[in-house]
Parts: sequence; structure tokens; C-alpha cells
Amino acid sequence: MKIRKELWFGFSLMGLILLSILFFTPWGNLTNGHLGLLMLALVVVTIMLGFPTAFTLMGMGVFFAWLAYRSVNPDMAVRQVLDLMVQRAYSVMSNDVLIAIPLFVFMGYLVERAALIERLFKSLHLSMARVPGSLAVATIVTCAIFATATGIVGAVVTLMGLLALPAMLRAGYSTQLSAGAITAGGCLGILIPPSVLLIVYGATAGVSVVQLYAGAFFPGIMLAALYVGYVIIVAKLKPALAPPLPEEESRVPIPAALAPLAERSRNAFTGLLGAVGGRSLGVPARTVLGQLAVTIVPAIAIAAIAWATWFGATKPAEVVDTSGLQASGFAADAPAAGGLAEPQSDTGLAEPPEEKEEGEAPKAEGGVAEPPGAEKAATAAEADKPAAEAAAPVERLPTPNWFWIFLAGAALVAALLYALWTWQRLEIFKMLLSSFFPLAVLILAVLGSIVFGLATPTEAAAVGAFGGFILAAIYRYIGHAREARRGHQSGSPVGRTLGDLWSIIKESSFLTAKTSAMVCWLFVGSSIFSAAFALLGGQEIINKWVLSMDLTPIQFMLLAQFIIFILGWPLEWTEIIVIFMPIFIPLLGHFDIDPLFFGLLVALNLQTAFLSPPVAMAAFYLKGVSPPHVTLNQIFAGMMPFMGIQVVALALLYIFPEIGLWLPQVLYGR
Amino acid sequence: MQRFLLFVDKLSTFVGHAFSFLIVVLTLQVSWEVFSRYVLDHPHAWAFDAMIMLYGTLFMMAGAYTLSKNGHVRGDVLYGFFQPRTQATIDLILYIVFFVPGVFALTYAGYFYAAESWAINEHSNVTAEGPPVYPFKTVIPIAGAFLLLQGIVEIIRCVICIRDGEWPSREEDVEEVDVEKLKEMVKVDEAGMDVPDPAYVAPKGAGR
Repeated sequence: MKIRKELWFGFSLMGLILLSILFFTPWGNLTNGHLGLLMLALVVVTIMLGFPTAFTLMGMGVFFAWLAYRSVNPDMAVRQVLDLMVQRAYSVMSNDVLIAIPLFVFMGYLVERAALIERLFKSLHLSMARVPGSLAVATIVTCAIFATATGIVGAVVTLMGLLALPAMLRAGYSTQLSAGAITAGGCLGILIPPSVLLIVYGATAGVSVVQLYAGAFFPGIMLAALYVGYVIIVAKLKPALAPPLPEEESRVPIPAALAPLAERSRNAFTGLLGAVGGRSLGVPARTVLGQLAVTIVPAIAIAAIAWATWFGATKPAEVVDTSGLQASGFAADAPAAGGLAEPQSDTGLAEPPEEKEEGEAPKAEGGVAEPPGAEKAATAAEADKPAAEAAAPVERLPTPNWFWIFLAGAALVAALLYALWTWQRLEIFKMLLSSFFPLAVLILAVLGSIVFGLATPTEAAAVGAFGGFILAAIYRYIGHAREARRGHQSGSPVGRTLGDLWSIIKESSFLTAKTSAMVCWLFVGSSIFSAAFALLGGQEIINKWVLSMDLTPIQFMLLAQFIIFILGWPLEWTEIIVIFMPIFIPLLGHFDIDPLFFGLLVALNLQTAFLSPPVAMAAFYLKGVSPPHVTLNQIFAGMMPFMGIQVVALALLYIFPEIGLWLPQVLYGR
Repeated sequence: MQRFLLFVDKLSTFVGHAFSFLIVVLTLQVSWEVFSRYVLDHPHAWAFDAMIMLYGTLFMMAGAYTLSKNGHVRGDVLYGFFQPRTQATIDLILYIVFFVPGVFALTYAGYFYAAESWAINEHSNVTAEGPPVYPFKTVIPIAGAFLLLQGIVEIIRCVICIRDGEWPSREEDVEEVDVEKLKEMVKVDEAGMDVPDPAYVAPKGAGR
């Protein structure tokens, strides 16, 4: 009976579209434009039938393109269609934006196979033990980080369903809340950069992926924060839904070697310092020094941040006004980055289309037209000393006052941190250090190098994939070494790790090939389809029709987002972006809407596509691994509040566009 | 017949697997280029062309492989709820209406596109003295031909399914979400999963 209901939904949607085709099509005088609209409606119906979308688009595109050409010149039609077809396919093959997709996907599969999610979840959960609803909060944060690094919704939801769902249910959390936290959290990877969705949007809409990444960063964080906030409020108001953990579950065992020290003093920092000073109570000096080294890592980090801030704040003035010329500003001014100058301009030469999209064309031209500049920077980079000297004559700005306040704040944080540095916290910090920080560093390094213009998304993705591979190697080795020490395994850990790595690379490559073939063939299909749509003039009709409605920009925006939201129920995000974005994007100009901003809204909006039944992939993945008494309806019910939060986030982003546009504005002077 | 189907499956899979290692090459090539450019200050003019060609070849040649594993994205509003026979009928019709003309057009046009490129000994114009482009363009008809072959196999599968009422078997392959593998990864203790724990079946969960 349930199945019938599902079928009903699809069939009634299809019937609705077919009826409106019958009703609205002026059958008497069918123009090409009407054919275009007909094609658009038909493709939605056909996609819903379930045939592979790429080939639906391809077949329909070929047929309707032939119709379009035939109406002009019947003799040439077949040849023109064939030419169009192969040119479109070739343009996808040589697309320098889409090339980042397989690399990011590969990185995701490698990181996923590093098998560090368990550690990550455990350490985050322990470090948040005092927060209300700590398990659900830790679930969301784990999902956000892991999903960001891997970008594979299915795997993240499945893994968290295996790890976090039993843990939450055992702790007495409500099924709905647990399911909602896992499904909503798992989908964050699609929004928080580096995400494939933004690349697909960038390639479709001709928006710079770099700017999209910079723009989507804060909205992604905001959405995650809203989820966390919701969970905390629920846990505060209705503790029955998310009861606090018992004390013993949030305690970490302290290693035996350190126990004597831990008994003497509560504070690990002073305790360790004391041990170094001689009162070691029989704890070996190596252990003490090792622990102390771990302990001072936060201090070093704070000092490094303070130094970097000072360095940035007192940078010579000319660096500041590089409006619109970020990259060449880097090359000419920042002495340390001198080596970047030539490669940057070389990139400009090598990738003209991307540069143009990024609005950085002047940079590329500068590199070509003014070789002396590039050469100077290059020579500066060749030898370290000249570079350092080049920096010296330029006087640093006086240290601004706010820096001292900032420094005082940082010092206060450090002091507080060490005052509260108990042995428990030292253990938790060590766990975080081995799970959370490597991932965070990987993500931030990839993202940072893209956003600050040090590397193209493609380069960052490749290096990220390489980093993911190293991460997988290290974690696998640690795992095997630990097993070997316990005597569970025969053979050397190195040999076993190498064996693992071979299968990791093999599997990740195969999966990457399948996923990129899926996305890129969809692009081949959709580029032929949208070419046919444009040839038929469907776009003009839509443009005219929308303009004749005389909407205000706000109305248009709401309408567009509403349509995308509705499309998210039956369709998946890939289909929505590659088929419908080419229709919306040309309209944005009329309403004076920034395609970058629109892209951020769409990315946020499409989060709902994952959680909206009946095609909510996340729910089905979770159902696949949850205990039998968790029903699909409970999962759907649990997702609804999170869908509500997504709509709230969408509204927030719309009302305060600065959330998304501030970073691109600062970095690229948009 | 089944042997022929599985043979073509294996062929597509072999080709797909072989070309999927290009992603490793691509990663290493770009990583090396980054290192060479930023650290050694020695960029290569051909790097961009090589990158594009690796990427394009990778996804084009994996098309048939993906089809053989049923990996191309489908709209799943209705499809999953149909009987196998209904699924096969829809697929059969749409393979003939959309797939065959589309992919055939691509292959056919790709053949002449590549032939032209060979004839003029075309080189990449991204940089001066770019590498040859004709092998890359040749990928289009080859990938198209493999895809067409796999498509014919899928059509035969549809016919068999309409006759028998169930889908013929496929070769197994790595799955993106392989629950067994993932379980291994996190070492779940299955013991407590099946038996509902009285602590959490209690009114809290289901009651709301």
C-alpha cells in the first residue's frame, strides 16, 4: 500500500506536467520556441521515468536540435546536428573547471578510506561532553568535517549511522533527533567547500569556482552552527529527547605511565613542568617531555596566529590596495610570495577561459605585457637573500593599537587554557590531535590555497588528493602497528599497510572513474540539450514571459528559489543544476542579481533536495544500516526540523547577503 | 547469450578499470607540476594540455564501464517502485528512442571529427608548440563505440528481463556505499543492534 502511495506522487506530478503541456501548448501555431518549452517539460517527465539522465538529455537534445536546424535548412540539418554534438562533447572533455571534479572525488574516497571517522567522532564527543545533547552535537560536527573532506553523502551517512546512531539510541536520545542529526549533518559536505556541487554550478553558470568557494564557506559554517544550536536548544528544553551523558561515559582513562603525576596535581601543565623540574615520581623523562611537547602545541599555535596577524597588520601599505588585482598584487608586493609571480602569469597563459571568468584577466595580461615585472619577482625568488633584502627597505607600518588588544586577548585565552589544562583534557587533546587536526589542516590547506589565489582549484584538488593518500597511509600504518603490538596480526605492519594502500588506490580509482563519468557524461548530455533549447529559442520565450510578469527582484528570487526547492523533491541536485540553471542564469542580469550570490542560495537550497522525500538519499542510506525498529517514517520525521532550519538559513542568507559575499568582497574586491 | 552479455560487461569493466588509473596519473602529474612550479620554479608548458587530456580521457572511457555497473544517475521517483518487467519495458523503449540515436550520433560525428584532426596533424593551441590533439579527439569515437556496445548489451538485458520477469545478473564491482566494508572500517559490534535495547525502545523514542 505504501508503494502505491509513492507511485501516486510521481504519477500525479507527471500527469500535472503532461496536462499543462496539453493545455498551454498552442497546437495550432507551434513555433520553435514552443517546441523548446515542450522539450523542457518532456525532459522532466522522462527523467522521472528513471532512464539514465545523461542519455535522456543527449537523445532529446539531438532530436530537438535536428528539428531546430531543419526548420532553417533541411539539407544541412543532419550535418549541423552532428557537428554540434561532437563540439559540445569536446568542450566538456576540455573543460578546465570540471577537471577539478575527479580530483576532489578521488581525494574524498582516499580520505574516507583513511578510516579515521571513529576516532574523530569519539574525540569530538568526549571534548564536548559538557554541552547539552553532546552526542548529537558531536555527530553534526563530525559529519560536517568528514563530509567536507570527503564530499560523499552516502558514505558519511552510512558510517555515522553505524557509529553514532547506536551510541545515541543507547544514551536514550530520541530516534527522530538522532536520525535528523545524522542525515542533515551528512549532507553538509555538499555545501561546505571544497564541494563538487559548487564546481558543477560554476561550470554551468560561468561563475568562478574560487569565488564560490570563498562565498560558500561562511553560509556552510552558519548552517552547521544553526543545526548545533537547534540540537542544544532541544536538549536544554526537553532533556528527555537528549539526556545528558552519565559521568563515567565522558571520562577518559589516563595512561598508566602518567598516573602518578596525575594523582599529585590536577593541572597537567604545571604537573609536567614540575616533573621536568625534577619531581618526576618515577615517570620516565622521555614520556614527560613528550607530553609536554604535546601540551605546548596550542601555545605555539596561538603565537603563530599572533605573529601572522602582526605580519599582516603591519604589511607595507601598497599591498592593501590591490583591488581586483589580487594575484598580481601578490606577485609584485609580497616578497615571500615572489616565487609565485611567474607561475601565476604562466597560469594566466595556460588557462585563459578560467581567468576571464574570474575577472582576473588583467592579471594574465599584465604577466604577458610586462615581463620585467614578472622577471623581477622571479629573480627575487631565486635567491632567498635578495628577497629578504627586498623586504627590508620597505618600512613596516607601525603596529596598530587593535593588535595589542588582540594580543592581550590571545594571551588571556592561552592563560585560561593552561589554567584549565587537566590531565583529562590533555588526553582528549591528544585524541583530537590525531583525528580532528589532520583533517582540519587538510581541508583548510586545500581551501586556503584556492581562496587566497595561491593555487587553482585543480592544483589544490590534486595536492589534496595526494595529502589524502598520505593521510590514509599514515592512519592505516598506525592501525596495523597497534594491532601488531597487541599480537593480533602476523607479518610486518609496513607490508600490510602497503597491501592496504594498493587496494585503497584501486578501489578509489574505480569509484572515482564511475562518479566522474556519471557527472561528466551528464554534462555532455546537458550541454547538447541546452544547446538545442537555445537553438529553438525556448530561452527567449521564458525570458519574455518572466519579464512580462513584471516581477521585482525579490519576487523573482523567491519564485526561483521556490521552483528549485520544489524540483528538489523529485530530482537530484546534479539534474537540477545542469538542466535548470542555464535557464535561470540569463534572467539574473535583468533583475540585477549577482550570479555568485544566486549560486550560494542555490547551493543552500539544494541541501533540502537531500532531505526531502521521496528521493531523500540520506534517509535511505541511514535506513540501510539502522536497527530494525527505526522506521523510515521516523527518519523522515526527524529530518523535517532540519529542513526547516535550512529554509531559515536560506532566509538569513537572503536578508544578510554579507554572510556569503563578505569574504569574496574582501579577497577579490567584488 | 548470458555469456556474451557478461563478456561485454567484462570488456567494459576492464577498459574502465584500466583508464581509471589515469586519476592516479593525473594526481601525480598535477602535484608534481605544482611542486616543480612553486618550489623548483620550473613550470612545464605542456602541463595544462596533459591535465586536460588525462581528465577527458578518464571520464569518456569510463562511460561504458559506468553504464555496465548501472552507475549513471537516474531519476528515482518512480523507477525503484516499478516491477522489474515495467522497468525493463521503460528502459527498452528509452534506450531505443534516446540512447541509440544520441550515442550513435556522438560516435559517428566523433569519427569524422577525429579523422579531420589526424588529417591536419592538429596540435594544441593553448601554448605555442602544444602537444598533438588528435589522439585526444580519437577518444570520442572509441569511447562512443564502447558505450554503444554496452548499450546494446543493456537492450538485450531489457528483452531478457521482459521475457523472464527478473533482471539478469551482473558482475560485482566496488560500490560507493558498501555497507559491509564500511562496517569493517568502524568495527561496529553487531550484537546489540538487532535486539532492541529496552532502554531506548521505551516511550521516549516512538512516543513523540
